[in-house]
Amino acid sequence: MRKTWVLLPAIAAVISMGFVAQPAVSQERSVKIAGFGARSGVVRSFGVNTEAVMRAAADQINKSGGVKLGDGSMGKIEISFDDDRCNAEEGISVLRRIASTDAVVAVGPTCSNVAEPLFGILQKRVGDAGDSGLKMPIFTDTAIKGGLAQISDWAFRNVPNEAEMYQSLFVWLQKENPELKSVYGGVEEDFAHSRFTWHKVMKTKSGDAGYNVLGESKWLLADTNFTTQVREMKKANPDIIAISAHPFTTCGVLKEMARQKVKPKLLVGLTSSSSMETLNGCAEQAEGIIIPTSFAPVTPEAEMAAAAAARFDGSADLHSAAAWEIVMVLKDVMESQGIMAKADTVDADRAKVRDGLAALKTTKGLLGTIKRTDEGEALKPYVYVHAKGGNWKVLHDPGI
Amino acid sequence: MDFYFGLIQLIGVHTLLGLSAYVVLLTNQVTMAQAGFFGIGAYVAAMLTVLADFSIVPAILIAGFAGALIACLVGFPALRVKGLMLVVATLAFGEFVRLFFFNFDYQIAKGEIQVGPLGGEGFRQIRYFPENGWTTGDVALFVWVFVILIMAGLWWMDRSRIGAVLRAVGEDELAAQSVGLNLTAVKVSAMTIGGFIAGIGGGIYAHYTTHIEQSNFNVLLATFAIAYPILGGLSNVFGTLLAVVFIQGILVEGLRFMGDWRNLLFGALIVLAMNVRPRGLLDERAMMTLKRLFSRG
Amino acid sequence: MDDFLLELIYVVQSIVDGILFGTTYALIGIGFTLIFGVMHKLNLAYGAVSIGGAYASLMIFHLVPSPIVAYLASAVATGAFGYLVYLCCFRFLPLSNPLAPLMATVGAFLFIDEVIVHATNGMPEPYPSVFDEMIFFGEFGLRSDLLFVFAIGLISMLVLMYVLYRTRLGLAVRAVSQQPVAAELCGMSQERTNAITFVITGALGGVAGAMIGASVGVLSPLLVAPITIKGLIVTVIGGLGSIPGAIIAGLAVGAFENLFQYFRGVTERDMYVMLLLFLFLTFRPGGIFSSSIGRD
Repeated sequence: MRKTWVLLPAIAAVISMGFVAQPAVSQERSVKIAGFGARSGVVRSFGVNTEAVMRAAADQINKSGGVKLGDGSMGKIEISFDDDRCNAEEGISVLRRIASTDAVVAVGPTCSNVAEPLFGILQKRVGDAGDSGLKMPIFTDTAIKGGLAQISDWAFRNVPNEAEMYQSLFVWLQKENPELKSVYGGVEEDFAHSRFTWHKVMKTKSGDAGYNVLGESKWLLADTNFTTQVREMKKANPDIIAISAHPFTTCGVLKEMARQKVKPKLLVGLTSSSSMETLNGCAEQAEGIIIPTSFAPVTPEAEMAAAAAARFDGSADLHSAAAWEIVMVLKDVMESQGIMAKADTVDADRAKVRDGLAALKTTKGLLGTIKRTDEGEALKPYVYVHAKGGNWKVLHDPGI
Repeated sequence: MDFYFGLIQLIGVHTLLGLSAYVVLLTNQVTMAQAGFFGIGAYVAAMLTVLADFSIVPAILIAGFAGALIACLVGFPALRVKGLMLVVATLAFGEFVRLFFFNFDYQIAKGEIQVGPLGGEGFRQIRYFPENGWTTGDVALFVWVFVILIMAGLWWMDRSRIGAVLRAVGEDELAAQSVGLNLTAVKVSAMTIGGFIAGIGGGIYAHYTTHIEQSNFNVLLATFAIAYPILGGLSNVFGTLLAVVFIQGILVEGLRFMGDWRNLLFGALIVLAMNVRPRGLLDERAMMTLKRLFSRG
Repeated sequence: MDDFLLELIYVVQSIVDGILFGTTYALIGIGFTLIFGVMHKLNLAYGAVSIGGAYASLMIFHLVPSPIVAYLASAVATGAFGYLVYLCCFRFLPLSNPLAPLMATVGAFLFIDEVIVHATNGMPEPYPSVFDEMIFFGEFGLRSDLLFVFAIGLISMLVLMYVLYRTRLGLAVRAVSQQPVAAELCGMSQERTNAITFVITGALGGVAGAMIGASVGVLSPLLVAPITIKGLIVTVIGGLGSIPGAIIAGLAVGAFENLFQYFRGVTERDMYVMLLLFLFLTFRPGGIFSSSIGRD
């Protein structure tokens, strides 16, 4: 009994430190950008990289003076990062926590299944007094499931537009390899992103480009046995196999294909799988797989961002690089809107950031100019990469 | 303040989830199906408010009854197994419910857009609260009205004959049977009450997250459902509330400042808690101590 | 007629693949059933330590690039982790309280899962396998790595049976499971025997984890929860405390899983497995065999 009554107050004291708000006592004003994402589970690397990249970008901005505020003084960017564990309830809790601080914008989340509920609790249309939704601008770096930003006027995303990327990829493949006629898909059915991307993007766009879509094989994201699915692929005997799955099952399927001697002429993969994870797991079997991506170190800015991220113990890939671009864009928006970064201007600053983001028609990206749509989505320049010798190499730059 | 209201909502809903398992645990049945009833409640309530334009209170009550109905049906076959096998049987049922929703499509057109559950994509835009101007404080109050009513009901039940009957069956089935208790009736009733509470909790959950999908109602949620009453202690309902506050308030939110260590500590602290207080945070001895403290003061 | 033959071959193929893969389920099921038979408690951290041991063996593999050494290292590591789980979740808890150790093992499960995620940043790690070729008989293919897994599984089960039925250690384990008080009176320490049971099942689990890694090709934290659930299902269908039951149930679950997938697709597959389990429990609650190790 004794030990518990000693333990409990000790734990309570330690914990209460977490709830006490840190008073801001700095001489110069700080502009708080609150990052959040998944630092747990299989998606942990996403959160780690996004945080590293955000800190690297903020560091660069602060080193060259910081952000010019509305009254002419300079403010330093302060980055915080919270772990939402890829869980909807926790994500909502984290956002509310962020909203209760003086952060002017939130950057995240990682998981599409968090983004959707999160955008749902925001105020839907600006100015709707009857809507009690949260009034906090969110600028998403990673959650990529199609069509989410339109859920709310306060939601913005800097994620690749997969519809456009795969459309141009399949058109280009058709031009480069006119002898290839058929496509067969492999899809991870129980993950929002991969399922949407096969059924609504890869399948339709390859069909539009003139390919004969022979069908698809399905599996679940934790599956380990792909013999049936690969046998279906073998039966269909397609020229191109498009795999819309994340690294774990992608590697599983590729290894099974190697075992059953299924060798399509071309392999196409999911954007998210163009990361080190896939090459870590099955570089040999993934050799040659083609993936469109919105980040590769092909421009001086991109290389610089990649190097900066490495200094902060992260790596820049198509998801985390989006966070770099976001921080840079936010600096420009904050300066053009003249935010004040004072304790009593928080709501006004957030509204200004939102208005500024909504008004953007183009932003500067690491690979070129990014166009912004009316729904708050991004049309990012992209390149096609393929896996060669354990690394991702640029296959073709369509110059968009 | 918004953040605290949100946390209060979350603790409220999770308390309902925990209480739904508490009732069944009293009869010594370890149930991993509560997440399933929770999910049923969520989908039913959401479909009623989004597709059929129901008001929130009838929708949630109907969700509760849906949970109760299914729980009653599950209770009968579940009687045939005990112990570990019941754990697995209820786990199988819970997973069956989740997979059912994975394959469940029911969309109707509202204006230009399609609304309703769409299999793996889930059920989006359950926006009853924001559309009707409810603030986070309003919702928190709403949640806790249900929680307090249900806790009061269970507290009263515990002090009445019903509670004694449940616990008797939980302690020793043979003895209970020999004094004339109908085991079937007691166990199925416990399951049904648990299903009702879980259905209510689920209905509220759907509305404060605005988007539900099958992966929300997985084995992890089912585990949390029984973790709350086990960690809190089965002697009374406040134990479950305390456990929810401990897990969600302290371990999940309070430890945020520890960054990455928070997740490691989560599991470790649960192991520690069970070793230090195996009968739960608020077991009979603790209750007696508290009673003595209050009666003296 | 040709098409029908081909379909038949594919169905048989699915079943055979399922059976071979089911060996891993059987190994995990044996571990669960043994612990349950001896201690009448559920160790939900079992799947986690098995995969954890496989991860630990990867560190050895980087030093000594031999798959066999890695498999043995996995068994040793999991044996050690099993003992730690015993210490943290069972040793100091009152034996009469079944719920507290259950929850403690849940905590251990979450902890081990997080350690794995932190150590690897959640990325899949390739795991060595011994054979990788497929042996083809016309249209019918047999995965040689799964055959290897099957063989190793059989050998482990035989070794386990030998230990349980032909050694004093095994005698102590069985005695404590059947009559703990009488065993204690005969001089067998309950604590020591329970600890040894955890180490033995840990070693078995380590082999299972290694075999899972070898057959999947990569290790990932995604493996931990499904293998725990499958192991529980197998234990229950096989009958609590029955090793032959766990073996047969493991192979059967593997086969049925594949069969359901072949006929109804992957989104409905698990539904039917769960339904099968539910029906099984309703009509045959004792499992295939009721216990032969301990009484329930």
